[in-house]
Amino acid sequence: MATKFLAHKMEDSVGVATNDISKNEEIEGVYMDNNKKTTVKAVDDIVLGHKIALKDIKKDDRVVEYGEPIGKATQDIKKGEHVHTHNIKTMRW
Amino acid sequence: MSTFMGYERENGRVGTRNHVLIIPLDDLSNSVTQAVENNIYGTRAIPHPYGRLQFGRDLDLTFKTLAGMGRNPNIASAVVVGIEDQWTQEIADKIAETGKSVEAISIEGSGDLKTIEKASRAARSMVKEASGKNRKEFDVSNLVVSTKCGESDTTSGLASNPTVGVVFDRLVDEGATVIFGETSELTGAESYVARNCSTPELKAKFQKIFDDYQTDIIKEKADLLGSQPTKGNIKGGLSTIEEKAFGNIQKMGTKPIKGVLEYAEEPVVKGLNYMNTSSAAAEAVTLFSAAGAVVHLFTTGQGNIVGNPIEPVIKITANPKTYNSMKEHFDLDVSGLLNFEYDLKEAGNRLYNTMLKTASGTLTANEILKHYEFAITKLYISA
Repeated sequence: MATKFLAHKMEDSVGVATNDISKNEEIEGVYMDNNKKTTVKAVDDIVLGHKIALKDIKKDDRVVEYGEPIGKATQDIKKGEHVHTHNIKTMRW
Repeated sequence: MSTFMGYERENGRVGTRNHVLIIPLDDLSNSVTQAVENNIYGTRAIPHPYGRLQFGRDLDLTFKTLAGMGRNPNIASAVVVGIEDQWTQEIADKIAETGKSVEAISIEGSGDLKTIEKASRAARSMVKEASGKNRKEFDVSNLVVSTKCGESDTTSGLASNPTVGVVFDRLVDEGATVIFGETSELTGAESYVARNCSTPELKAKFQKIFDDYQTDIIKEKADLLGSQPTKGNIKGGLSTIEEKAFGNIQKMGTKPIKGVLEYAEEPVVKGLNYMNTSSAAAEAVTLFSAAGAVVHLFTTGQGNIVGNPIEPVIKITANPKTYNSMKEHFDLDVSGLLNFEYDLKEAGNRLYNTMLKTASGTLTANEILKHYEFAITKLYISA
């Protein structure tokens, strides 16, 4: 299985693609804080630098990256989905 | 405990370079300083467009920056050249507080040519003296290291900035002084930075600096907030301003903030310090160097090539395309982190070792390419 994403902290709900990921691809990723591995099946195509959901996220739940909230979900997000401006937004305005 | 080979200064501070600095007090004195730099081996001039008819805080900051460059431990001694004698002497006196030798030379009453001769003769003696100084072994706790990122992309938040964070944590554990800044780029993570301040006083001081910056933005009717992240950021995968800010502050590491500094203010507490700076690369690195930082760690995604005349700037990227297309500008490639060739700890080791070598005299890409950007932060209009 190809290793294709990194996550910063164990508690993160998203990882970041280090290679382009194809829909339905079963991929492996690494948590940078402890080098532990995890696997996800991609629901969408996700290009390098973009985020993938590592768990189900409910609408209005906080999205966690770097161990910190980086925004909230504007709709339910399933594990393996592409996470970006179409389904999360800033909590600032 | 790690060590490096540095230059001890009269006040006990330790430098990583041994330049004789030729400082123009004002724009009119640039020509003389550049002539001296051409005449005399081992000197460095720092021409700039300011120093006349400034007032208040803005004037203070320009002079603090000029004096700070001379005070930096990377400088063995300095010549200050100004159009008139009074302010020239005041900057020289500020530098002389450190114990290093300094000459104040003014142009009025003599003209450029006689001034060039006088300043060149002074610089010649200083270089002779400085060249006799040998590097000695010092503990890393003597280092003051600064950081800044520029032309960031997703590889910055993912790999190069966390690599700097690992090195900052290690330097703090070993008793060194480290500084980060970029007030505007903290927007979205400012409450995290405030939480990391080690006392309520520091937290209040940081919050005031941040709020004043926001007030300035609103006053100019600039919509920096609504336009963040930028279209380019979003294309690269950044979704929110919080995400962009947390990517940036990976550089600060995980230690508590022990000092909150104003522009170009010299740190007095070891450990992690925050300094109020612009996020423009040359201005920020200039402020760090004027505060006495002796090595800089600069991360970039798309290829910012900034340098500094007195503080070696170590350039790091995790973007393999940027590294391969602009190799001459880089000191370290950490793209292996993204290919899973090595982990964050190993990337940190590589950067730490590069930093020790640089501190001991290995030239950085910016020094070899003569990238000597010196940019004074201007606070408002001149009279």
